[in-house]
Amino acid sequence: MTRIGEFLFRRRGHGGRWHWTDIATWTWLILGTVLMFGPALWLVGSSFKGPAQLAEFPPTILPYVQEVTEVEGYDKPLPLYTATLEDGTTRTLAEIRRIGTNSQMVDPANPGEKINVNIANRSPLREIGLATGNYVEPLVANNFVLFLWNSVFVTTMATLITLLTNSMAAFALSKYRFRGRDAVMLLIVATLMVPLSVILVPLYSVVNATGLLNSLWGVILPTVATPTGVFLLRQYMLTIPDELLEAARMDHASEWQIYWRIVLPLAAPALAVLAIFSVVWRWNDFLWPLIVLSKRELYTLQVGLNTYAGELNVQWHYILAMTVVTMIPVVIVFVFLQRFITTGIAGAGIK
Amino acid sequence: MGRIVLDGITKSFGATQVIHGIDLEIEEGELAVFVGPSGCGKSTLLRLIAGLDRPTSGRIEINGRDVTRASAADRGLAMVFQSYALYPHMTVRQNLSFGLENTRMPKPEIAERIDEAGRMLEIGELMERRPTQLSGGQRQRVAIGRAIVRNPTAFLLDEPLSNLDAELRGTMRAELARLHARLATTMVYVTHDQVEAMTLADKIVVLRGGRIEQVDTPLGLYNRPQNLFVAGFIGAPNMNFFRVRATGGQAELPGGLSLAVPGEGEVTVGIRPQGLHLATGDGPALEVVIRLVEALGAETVVHADAADGTPVVTVLSGQPSLAAGQPIRLAFDADAVHFFGADGMRLEA
Amino acid sequence: MAGLGQTLGRAATWPLTLAARAVDPPLRAWQRRTGTGGMAAVFLAPNLLIFSVFVLVPLVLNFAYSMTGGTGILLGQRPFVGAEQYARLLECQDYTRPITCREDQFWTAVGNTAQFVIFQVSLMVVVSLITALILNRDIRGRSFFRAVFFFPVLLSPVVVGLIWRWILQRQGLLNLIMVKLGLEPEVWLNDRVYAFAATIGVSTWAHMGFYTLILLAGLQAIPRDLYEAAEMDATPPGRVFWRITLPLLGPNLAVVLVLALIRGVQIFDEAYVLTGGGPGTSTLYLTQYIYESGFASLLREPGLAAAASILMGAVLVVLTLIQLWLSRRAEGRKAR
Repeated sequence: MTRIGEFLFRRRGHGGRWHWTDIATWTWLILGTVLMFGPALWLVGSSFKGPAQLAEFPPTILPYVQEVTEVEGYDKPLPLYTATLEDGTTRTLAEIRRIGTNSQMVDPANPGEKINVNIANRSPLREIGLATGNYVEPLVANNFVLFLWNSVFVTTMATLITLLTNSMAAFALSKYRFRGRDAVMLLIVATLMVPLSVILVPLYSVVNATGLLNSLWGVILPTVATPTGVFLLRQYMLTIPDELLEAARMDHASEWQIYWRIVLPLAAPALAVLAIFSVVWRWNDFLWPLIVLSKRELYTLQVGLNTYAGELNVQWHYILAMTVVTMIPVVIVFVFLQRFITTGIAGAGIK
Repeated sequence: MGRIVLDGITKSFGATQVIHGIDLEIEEGELAVFVGPSGCGKSTLLRLIAGLDRPTSGRIEINGRDVTRASAADRGLAMVFQSYALYPHMTVRQNLSFGLENTRMPKPEIAERIDEAGRMLEIGELMERRPTQLSGGQRQRVAIGRAIVRNPTAFLLDEPLSNLDAELRGTMRAELARLHARLATTMVYVTHDQVEAMTLADKIVVLRGGRIEQVDTPLGLYNRPQNLFVAGFIGAPNMNFFRVRATGGQAELPGGLSLAVPGEGEVTVGIRPQGLHLATGDGPALEVVIRLVEALGAETVVHADAADGTPVVTVLSGQPSLAAGQPIRLAFDADAVHFFGADGMRLEA
Repeated sequence: MAGLGQTLGRAATWPLTLAARAVDPPLRAWQRRTGTGGMAAVFLAPNLLIFSVFVLVPLVLNFAYSMTGGTGILLGQRPFVGAEQYARLLECQDYTRPITCREDQFWTAVGNTAQFVIFQVSLMVVVSLITALILNRDIRGRSFFRAVFFFPVLLSPVVVGLIWRWILQRQGLLNLIMVKLGLEPEVWLNDRVYAFAATIGVSTWAHMGFYTLILLAGLQAIPRDLYEAAEMDATPPGRVFWRITLPLLGPNLAVVLVLALIRGVQIFDEAYVLTGGGPGTSTLYLTQYIYESGFASLLREPGLAAAASILMGAVLVVLTLIQLWLSRRAEGRKAR
């Protein structure tokens, strides 16, 4: 242990002595790590707890499930309890049914004898285990498979269209000289100032007029012409030497081929960054889908989750599990691609 | 195959005119070199021939066909770029085949042409590599290969050797010359390096400020420069110039040496450094004082000053023992002297 | 392995390749007619079309909507009322007390948003600056910790809201900690002040990683030799921070400040999922007001929502112009 500690806390270049700033640094970092990951881990842990366990206070750290056992003469497995009997002895008993404050119990070893125990005198016998039903049931019974599919469809299509249209526009804006180019650039800069929340009402009426209301395309199309994407790609394409395009022109390539076969492959790093961003953006979109989609079968995961969480009788065990499902793609992106994203942000200052 | 005619070509970028009325004929199979200082318009002219830029006015003909308005792809030319412009995401083979695929050439023929180019340029081993995995010289060959497989009416080369180190540049220069001899296709070659121009060209076009100064064979340019600019530009070290006043067909060089001059009034006398040698005996000679001696072994470059301060450079063969501050007497042959009038144009002796 | 990956990648993009080949001949014909330059229009067209329909047209329509009344959504069914909607929003007897305003909800939202922005932006700048300074130190596992603070940035606002709702609920993690510390548990989100503080804390938690990255990039751009020079001059660390780090970080700090302001004004998703604007109207923010008055309430009033959104847009335009001005100045300084 001390070896590991030594390795972790060894400070470069300063010899071995600890300055107060080093202590402050590590306190901040460790607290930060707990604070950043803790809530999500707590959520994941909670999502494997059954409804009864979720209602308990104080909550346990790990998820448990109640032990059950097969008892002769009963069709279903019975839950096991530790019961304190009137004579003061404690025994492990299986519960047959509960009547009021009384629990009718049976000794699994001796199925013939029934024992009545006050419910205050018994506590459930539990082992660490996962309530996987939290995941299976909403996916099967409550449309969540549909929501999941809607989210995947919106994210995939929106990202593909974003990449295509933005890269085409960026190509035109970086590699051609034409009248009005500066005007187009200015227009794009200007709309950076127009966030969605400012044009909700008229955008709704435009989507309504184009017949896209209550359609996933109504969610997709308004989001794909991102000025950020055009910007990012244009900046990158400006670094591709014009001579390559000229060489391709001498090589009988049409302008479309130059775009498709030369510029797109060379802009792959920037396209990858935009693709990652687009996936995260579209997967996480909430307000706009909330407005456009009013039919339950069209909900995306975010909207579906919010709707379930807003119901009177909140079924936390399902919501927590589905929140974890919603997190999964983003966590995958985080684990495998965060380096990509953080350098992308540092380089272009986009989010 | 491959005769290029330029007729009254001009080109302006916005308000600035960079090409001022160029008329030029490049014959079939010829290797023409455009040479001149940077900003003289030689690269622009090449791009106009290539079709990458359109002339503001004038006509371009290739094999008698007016291609002024034709696109780059329709001119049947191939170009080697200064930066090579190899597609970095394609292998060498894909680089070579890209242009052929675009013309919908059948696959076997593409393979055949690539093989042939690979043999000719000795890049057969490199076919599956990408440009970043190649050395400068190898990239150069691939760039040339990409032009060769197209089997073009003419090759356009834009400073193709300028990114190579001196040694490699020499080898590649020789190879290009061999290639031209073998292919016998028209080549238009742009360079600012007069050694490349002199060694490669059938015909040199000297450009300055968007105008043609002189078109001639390399030795024609060297031996009979048509004006002061060409005289000063071609040949290393630069030609020595003496500004003199001629009266009655005679003029005096600084120091009093008298000379017959085919003109009157302001005349510039030009003598190449190689045309001067140490005078023997007491005959008439140019008297100068040595400022600097650069002994190169096989030859010695002497920088000196004439009596009126005009710098004089001479290249002497061998290793004469000379030192700075020493006065020497230089002689020259009459046929090594060039004369230019007040307008800078050559005066014939 | 690489070969397999390449083959799979090619197989996945095969439909796209086919589509790209299919559009080439017509585009080639078009190129022949219009020349190389005419192709620029072709490449711009799809983006500009979508952009016009879904951004430019709504932008113009917004003004039209803000000057109409009624509950209809089609512009044709809506009577023209001139500046009536703006008058409604702005009419107040006593501007310090939202309750005396004609649209008291709007003023409550404005007041809440203003308070939110002041507290959240200050907290955000301080916390992300400290984190950036720490991550800029010569520590082990720097890229790991950089990733740690970035993690919540990727989470969706709905997930963020639900995570924290779960932690702040009656039987939640926070109350567990309170009990362990011997304190009284609270129903945090039922308390006006705690709920308001929760929206600030949670939105800071969710976005600080982003601002930390911008500041860290700024810190790393400060030349090392400046610090070495300061060390040679025996400058005390505090002075190094105030006289070297802070002035040179200035442009990045300004960008962070304005970006946080712009996004703070628009706060909606995570706060809405966390508190739903409650308890009462204590966490009702502007975007939620626009959303509810335009879409969610029984008596929806698109005109009012449009007018409110234009007022909010005006604030955002001013903030964005400041940001553009700042970043241009920063670039100018870099160029010098």
